[in-house]
Amino acid sequence: MTALAAIRVRLGRLLREDGLSFFGLIMLVLLVLLGLVGPYLPIGDPTRIGAGPRLSPPSWVFPFGTDELGRSYLPRVVEGIRATFLLSVVAVVITAVIGTMLGMLAGYFRGFSDHLVARGADILFAFPAIIVGLLVAAVVGPGQISAIAVISIATIPLFIRVVRSVTLGVSGRGFVTAAEVAGASSGRVMLVHILPNITGAVVVQLTYAMSIGIIIESALSYLGLGVQPPQASLGSLLREGSAYLTIAPWLVLSAGAVLSVAIMSVNLVGDAVRDGLEPLKGRLLT
Amino acid sequence: MRLIAYLLPRIAAALITILGVSVLVFLALRLIPGGYADILLGPFVTPEARATIAERYGLDQPVVLQYFHWLVSLLQGDFGVSMVTRKPVLDEFLRRAPVTIELAMIALVVALSFGLPLGIASGTAGRSRGGVARFIGAIGASVPDVVLGSVLIFVFSVWSLWLRVGGYVPFSEDPVGNLRVMLLPGLTLSVFGVALVLRTTRDAVMRVMTEGYITAAVARGERPRDIIRLHVLRNASIPVVTVVTTYFGFLLSGAVVVEVLFSIPGIGLYTFSGLLNRDYAIVQAGVLLAAVVFITINMLADVLYAAIDPRVGAGAKR
Amino acid sequence: MNIRSSINKAAATAALGLGLAATCVLPSLAQDKTITWGKPAEITGFDVHVAGTVAAWEMYQMIYETLLAADENLEVQGALAESWEQTSPTSYVFKIRDGAAFSNGRAVTAADVIGSLERIKDPETASYWSHQLGDIAKMEAIDDHTVSVELAAPHPAFLPALAHITAAILPIEELKAGTFDPTSQLLGSGPFMVEEHKQDESWTLVRNPHYWRKGYPLADRLEAPIIPDESARMAALRDGRIDFTTFANPDAPQMLSKEDNIESKPQQTTNYYRIDVNALSDKSAFKDKKVRQAMNLALDRQAINDFVFAGTSDVDYPVPAAFGKDACRSLDTYAMPREERIEKAKALLKEAGNENPEVGLIAASSNPVLGRIAQVVQQSLGDAGFEVEIESIPTAEYLQRVFTDGDFDMSTSWLAGYTDPSMVIAWWNPEFAVWNQVFQENVPELSAALDEVKTMQGGAERDAKLSEICAMIDDGANLLSLVSKTDYVVYRDDQVDVTVAEKSGSSNTFQYISEFKPLD
Repeated sequence: MTALAAIRVRLGRLLREDGLSFFGLIMLVLLVLLGLVGPYLPIGDPTRIGAGPRLSPPSWVFPFGTDELGRSYLPRVVEGIRATFLLSVVAVVITAVIGTMLGMLAGYFRGFSDHLVARGADILFAFPAIIVGLLVAAVVGPGQISAIAVISIATIPLFIRVVRSVTLGVSGRGFVTAAEVAGASSGRVMLVHILPNITGAVVVQLTYAMSIGIIIESALSYLGLGVQPPQASLGSLLREGSAYLTIAPWLVLSAGAVLSVAIMSVNLVGDAVRDGLEPLKGRLLT
Repeated sequence: MRLIAYLLPRIAAALITILGVSVLVFLALRLIPGGYADILLGPFVTPEARATIAERYGLDQPVVLQYFHWLVSLLQGDFGVSMVTRKPVLDEFLRRAPVTIELAMIALVVALSFGLPLGIASGTAGRSRGGVARFIGAIGASVPDVVLGSVLIFVFSVWSLWLRVGGYVPFSEDPVGNLRVMLLPGLTLSVFGVALVLRTTRDAVMRVMTEGYITAAVARGERPRDIIRLHVLRNASIPVVTVVTTYFGFLLSGAVVVEVLFSIPGIGLYTFSGLLNRDYAIVQAGVLLAAVVFITINMLADVLYAAIDPRVGAGAKR
Repeated sequence: MNIRSSINKAAATAALGLGLAATCVLPSLAQDKTITWGKPAEITGFDVHVAGTVAAWEMYQMIYETLLAADENLEVQGALAESWEQTSPTSYVFKIRDGAAFSNGRAVTAADVIGSLERIKDPETASYWSHQLGDIAKMEAIDDHTVSVELAAPHPAFLPALAHITAAILPIEELKAGTFDPTSQLLGSGPFMVEEHKQDESWTLVRNPHYWRKGYPLADRLEAPIIPDESARMAALRDGRIDFTTFANPDAPQMLSKEDNIESKPQQTTNYYRIDVNALSDKSAFKDKKVRQAMNLALDRQAINDFVFAGTSDVDYPVPAAFGKDACRSLDTYAMPREERIEKAKALLKEAGNENPEVGLIAASSNPVLGRIAQVVQQSLGDAGFEVEIESIPTAEYLQRVFTDGDFDMSTSWLAGYTDPSMVIAWWNPEFAVWNQVFQENVPELSAALDEVKTMQGGAERDAKLSEICAMIDDGANLLSLVSKTDYVVYRDDQVDVTVAEKSGSSNTFQYISEFKPLD
């Protein structure tokens, strides 16, 4: 757990020194909180059709305006945040578990299992991500499950590659050889000796996967293969709003802004974590 | 000779990968509910009509047989015919390839011409985390294509500015008209690239800057611009090449969302409508071609490493 | 310095690009009078006797002709047939127009007509229109331009069925000679012929030099770029890239009405949005007729009109409102106030022992209007205790699940009303319709009544029968009408002069395409 402790210490310092990362963290916490408590906020029902006139611009009653079915848009955006984060988090956790397992197996055992895993990752990597998404969504049927599957499948190849290469580096180190010589089982070596030493890389990769996950969810929903109506995700809101871009631009603009801020906050926090793990020191050439 | 020894295992691996992709896409398509018979006949599809259509396109054969038939045809350069038009899909892909390539080139050129200089400037600025460049990087990596594209469409369709949304014309027919249409989607695609190139370059440069030979060069009193040109750029280029080639491969395999958003008739849009129409040959060819292009480009990158850094080729066996 | 050099380089590249562009001469404007149609979707196949989608019909209507056509009062008129005569309740004689010719120059003959109708009836062709034509006993060429048709039984809808594009007349001689393949080519006697087709991108049509109506079409060329996205079609109209297009979503013409040079013509159709209900599957709560009836009562058709169509549509009935019949108007489903209907629906559900039925509602994701209808349906059924889950899935999957597998509870789409009320309601007999056999209950009395009305000539007696039938249809609640479907032809009035029928029954929006006049 040394790596995690190191992250915590360095992260704390970075955040104090670095305004942008601090901003990212605050936004991320705010968005997650909003997603969690959203359903209990007194902002209206996200699915109530005819809560107001159709396509009315932002006002005191409807701070984000209303959509094409007269639904208040603010609660829909809040619900969208909730859905988008929930789907991405679940998918990325799946990616992390499977990706770490396969990556460690490939990196530690090498040989045949390495080839198998590496080729598998290559095959997935060579597929255009959106087409994988469309195929999976078509086979599984559009909805939350398929969105999660698509995000996992799209983020897993890179994850495997990263974990594999880090594991390769770690398993050549002295303490691993020592454990092997002392007769530790492979499972024990991987869990006790290798895993703690690759946690840092996994955490960094996790944040990247998370931001890619959010982007993929939005693309998938935009193409009509994400969450099912009337549920909202940030991507499905973009799809619904895009037909009304010219007369009700607030629909796409508000959902798009929130989506971009969400991705940015994840990215900034990810950067801070990474910088905390392997600080890059700049220098001047004078 | 060494290059061949270096490339052979990679080519073998690439072939296996492509074979895997072909099996996956073939199977996935046949698992998807709904077929071309549904699309053609709408609700009026009867079991008899379905059988007629299946027979016409050889879909009544066992899947394994269909797959090998496809594979054998592929080896003869036959990618199959579209079920809608009954014409070879390869012709359509060849007609559309220049569109996707042009889009990818625009995005790549923009990404490099902004990302590289900003990344180098930020990496050599001496601070631990570049200021403005970092901000640009953070924004660029955070605005998805869909959002940026929508905003551009909004701006350019409400106020009639010079650039246009949709209405593709080939470059050979009307170069100005072509650019008017292609610039917006190209820019949309490039923003992520700018951020990607910028961040990668900055990190690579910063890593190199702390190396001993840079300290030595500084101590020798070499001019900063010479140090950057002679030492930093050469040594920082490998991660940049990796990222740029992956990005380019991703662009070439068809940017579905942007092509759909801007109605650009590239291979991404074609493959996407092929999938919606259950026009198997189109999707199979589209995915396979995308994979081949992607893998080839990455292999070229490998060769490029070997050229940049002779140690890479020598250490092929690790 | 690196930044600067790189910016310079970029500037140089841009300058080079512009210079290059400027030196190239712009393609000279063609002298041909061209009109441009923003086509919302690519055709789904080439075979006019087989394809069952509007996207395909629209293109066929530019190229093929039918013997008869319906005018805006939905009365049958001559088209390729100059005149016709009904010599007995079962026999007809058609006289083919002098001068009618396919675009290859060959005159349309009696053999083409007979061969085309035979091809539709041939089970090998798998044409869904075979049933609508009725039972043809015999066809004969009296001379090169005269055909007699003998039906096995009276079938007044035979004439309207001939007016639908699916009954198009193909060049049978070329088909038999193997020089024309109807599954990959279009060759007809209509105003236009195909010059170029780029799949999923565009069509270029040019005038058929042998078209029988001299001086028509008014346009020499018809360009048809395919633009599926609604906002992209709007942008194309705004910048004048296309001259006309169609929208099903009434918000689109509304959004464009602010522009001075954009006009919109609504076309009332006999088509309506509908809900298919699965009465046959054991997995469907709707197997219980009471649950279906409760659903029919709880539906808020007015809310669909208000929220999805901004009040521009109207509540519609199984016998389409466009025909102007009284059928169905007085039924509880339509006449009872909504609160009472909800109470009645709840009572029915209670009787059925299923107070909160859980049902799925399929809406094909390609048409956003259907998704919006589904959401309003979901909310209105919720008022009576239904728990509706919407499934927005790709068209191909929707079609297979609903019409082949019968694996659904309810689904929303729209129904073509054709040009005679007896044609559309005939679908309520699943043995006749075939396409709804997997979910439509066969009600013998209803089927008998439908068979009977098909043989009746128009008049008060038939209207009474239609009302009787409508009540039975409503009672079964198996296939429900929601609101009428209006098509909007939106065009640039500074670029083209359009002629659009106020009413259409055959999804023949561009019936008068040959009269579209280019204005530049």
